[in-house]
Amino acid sequence: MTKEEAQGATEEEQQAQSKKGQKKQQKEAEKAAKKAEKQAKLAAEQQSTEEDDFAKDRYGMPAMVQSQQKLDRALVRVQDLTPERADQLIWLRARVHTSRAKGKQCFLVLRQQQFNVQALVAVGDRASKQMVKFAANITKESIVDVEAAVRKVEQKIESCSQQDVELHIERIFVVSQAEARLPLQLDDAVRPEAVGEEEGRATVNQDTKLDNRVIDLRTTTSQAIFRLQSGVCQLFRDTLTTKGFVEIQTPKIISAASEGGANVFTVSYFKTSAYLAQSPQLYKQMCICADFEKVFCVGPVFRAEDSNTHRHLTEFVGLDIEMAFNYHYHEVIDSITDTMVQIFKGLRDNFQTEIQTVNKQFPSEPFKFLEPTLRLEFTEGVAMLREAGVEMGDEEDLSTPNEKLLGRLVKEKYDTDFYVLDKYPLAVRPFYTMPDPSDPKYSNSYDMFMRGEEILSGAQRVHDAQLLTERATHHQIDLEKIKAYIDSFRYGAPPHGGGGIGLERVCMLYLGLHNVRQTSMFPRDPKRLTP
Amino acid sequence: MALRELSSLEKYLELKKPNKYSTQGDKKVPVLQNNNGAPLVGLVTIARHLVKEAKRTELLGDSAESRAVVHQWLEYRVTRLNGCTKDDIKTILKELNLYLQDKSYLAENQLTLADILMYYGIQPLIVDLAVQEKEQYVNVTRWFDHMQHYPGVRRHLPPVVVLRNRIYTGRHH
Repeated sequence: MTKEEAQGATEEEQQAQSKKGQKKQQKEAEKAAKKAEKQAKLAAEQQSTEEDDFAKDRYGMPAMVQSQQKLDRALVRVQDLTPERADQLIWLRARVHTSRAKGKQCFLVLRQQQFNVQALVAVGDRASKQMVKFAANITKESIVDVEAAVRKVEQKIESCSQQDVELHIERIFVVSQAEARLPLQLDDAVRPEAVGEEEGRATVNQDTKLDNRVIDLRTTTSQAIFRLQSGVCQLFRDTLTTKGFVEIQTPKIISAASEGGANVFTVSYFKTSAYLAQSPQLYKQMCICADFEKVFCVGPVFRAEDSNTHRHLTEFVGLDIEMAFNYHYHEVIDSITDTMVQIFKGLRDNFQTEIQTVNKQFPSEPFKFLEPTLRLEFTEGVAMLREAGVEMGDEEDLSTPNEKLLGRLVKEKYDTDFYVLDKYPLAVRPFYTMPDPSDPKYSNSYDMFMRGEEILSGAQRVHDAQLLTERATHHQIDLEKIKAYIDSFRYGAPPHGGGGIGLERVCMLYLGLHNVRQTSMFPRDPKRLTP
Repeated sequence: MALRELSSLEKYLELKKPNKYSTQGDKKVPVLQNNNGAPLVGLVTIARHLVKEAKRTELLGDSAESRAVVHQWLEYRVTRLNGCTKDDIKTILKELNLYLQDKSYLAENQLTLADILMYYGIQPLIVDLAVQEKEQYVNVTRWFDHMQHYPGVRRHLPPVVVLRNRIYTGRHH
C-alpha cells in the first residue's frame, strides 16, 4: 500500500465512522450560526436603539465636580417639596435611598438628611427605556442631581416624609457614585429592636454602627439626635448669655489633675509630662477670682476611667458653669436649674420633630420637669431609699442602682424627671468643696439628675486660701502642684459655686436613650479610638 | 432552716409543747421522734402531723379538690423551691406570679399550710430581689406581703419592704 492509498482508506473509514458525528457537527454549526445571527440581530437592535435613544442627554455620569463652572441653577430642598410646588419643574440634589424598577418604570426614594421623597422615572416622551434602566442601576447612597416635575399624589405616600407629592424625573445625573456594597443597610440601622425581633428582620448592633459611623450618622435617628444636641448647646449659650455670663476658653493640657490623680490621662510634654483636663474646674474658678463673676465654658473633657458602661466616655463635651454669688450657694443652684429648664423648654418647643423621629426607633416617655425645680436634701433621698428597703450608710455615696431607684421614687412621688439632690456628705466630694456650716459631715454640694441618672455635679467652692490648704492636705494632695490654684485665692476671692454638665448625657437622658455612645458623634471609650 | 420553720409553725398553731427535732442525712431532713410510734421524717410530713395535732385540719384544705391543691404546693415547695439554682428562681417566680394572678391564697380563698410553707420557703428569694424585680413579679409580691402580715405567720423571718405603688410603669429602663 502506498501512503496515499493508506490515507484514502483511513479517510473512508473515518468518513464511515463519523457520519453520525458529522451530522451532529452540522447541526451544532447550524445552531451556532443561528445563535450568532440572533446575537447580531440583538446587537444591531441595541445599537439602533442606542442610536435613537432620544433621552441620551437626559441622564448619565457627568465629569467630577471640580468647580469648572458656576451653574445658575437653584436646588430645592427635599423638605420644601409640598403641594404648593405642584406642577413646577425643579432641580434637586439628593441621595438614592432605594430604587425599585418595575417594567417600564423605576421608583426611587430620594433622601436628603432626615427627609425623603418618592421619585419616578417612567418610559415616555421625557425618558427612554435606557434612561429607566440607568436609573434602576444607580447604587444605593449615590448622590444624584435630578430635574423633575412635582406632582400631587392622590394617596399619601406613607413611607416618605414628603407624603403629598412625588417627583416625575426628567433628567438624572450621578454626581457621586457609591460602592455597590454597603457595610450596613440604613433601613436596618433605624429599625426598632422590638420590630426586628417580632418580624425576624435585621437590626444593626451598636459596634457595627459605630465602626461605620459615617453611614450610621445618615440615618434619620442620628440626624435628629445631633440636631437636638446642637440645640442643647445653642440653648445653653443663649440662656447664659442673657443671664450675663461670659464664655471662656480654658487650656486642656494642664499640669495637675483637678479631681484626684487616678483617672487622668498623662501626655508627654517636651521633657516633662502633662495631663488632659478632667474639667475646666481650676480655670473657671481662677476667672471668678479675676472678676469675671459669671463664666461658662463648652469644651472637651477627659476621663481616664477604665469603665465600660452605658454612660461613660473617655472624652466628652463638658458644659461648665461657675458664678460668684452674694450670700447663699442656692443662688447658684437656682441659676443652673433655671438654665436647664430653659433648655428643656426650648427642646420641647423647637425640636418636636427630632424628638418624635428618635422616639420612632427608641420609644420613651416625654421628659417631665417642674418649675421651680425640685430640690431634695441628700438625707431625704437616703430616707426615701431606706423606706423602699435599701440599706445604706449615712455618709455613703449613692451607687448607680440606688441612684436610678431614687429617680423612680422621685418620679412616682413628684412626677418629675429632673431634680436636684443637695447637701452631699463631705467625704465623697472633692477637696475644694465647701463644708456645711451646720454639720461638718455634710457639704454645700449638689448633683442634678435626669431620669434617675447624674448629669451634673457641683458645689460651693472653698474661696479661702487657708481652708483650701487644709482641705487639700486632708485629701493628701501635693500642695506644690496646686500652688498656683491656691494662690489665686490669696488676693481677695468672692464666694462662688458652679457645676459641670455632660452634653452627651443630657441628650441621652432627655431622649430616654440607653447608651451615651448614641449621643456622641465619634465616641471615645477605653476600647474605641476610631473612627 | 427547716427546724426553725417547724418551730415557727408550732407557734402559729399554738401548740403548747414545743417538739424536739433531729436531722438526718446531708440535706438535713428534719426528723420528729413520735412518742407513740415510728419517727416522722420530712418537712411536709411533720408539718401535716402538727396541723392535725393542733386540730386545724382546715389548713390542709376543706374539700377533696383543695386538699389536692394544698398537697401539690407542699410538694412544689420541697421539690422545686428547696435547693433551687439562680436560673430556677426566675422560672419559679414567673410560674408563681402567673398562678397568683387571680388568687389571694394558693388554695381556696383562705390560708392553708401551703401558703405558710411556701412563704417560709420563698422568703430568702424575695429578700434578694431588687425593687424593680419585686414590681415585675407583682402578684408574688402582693401575696408575699399579705403572708408576712398575716397574724402569727411571720415569726422568725425579718419583714421585707414592699412598695405599694408601682414606680416602673414606663418603658424607660
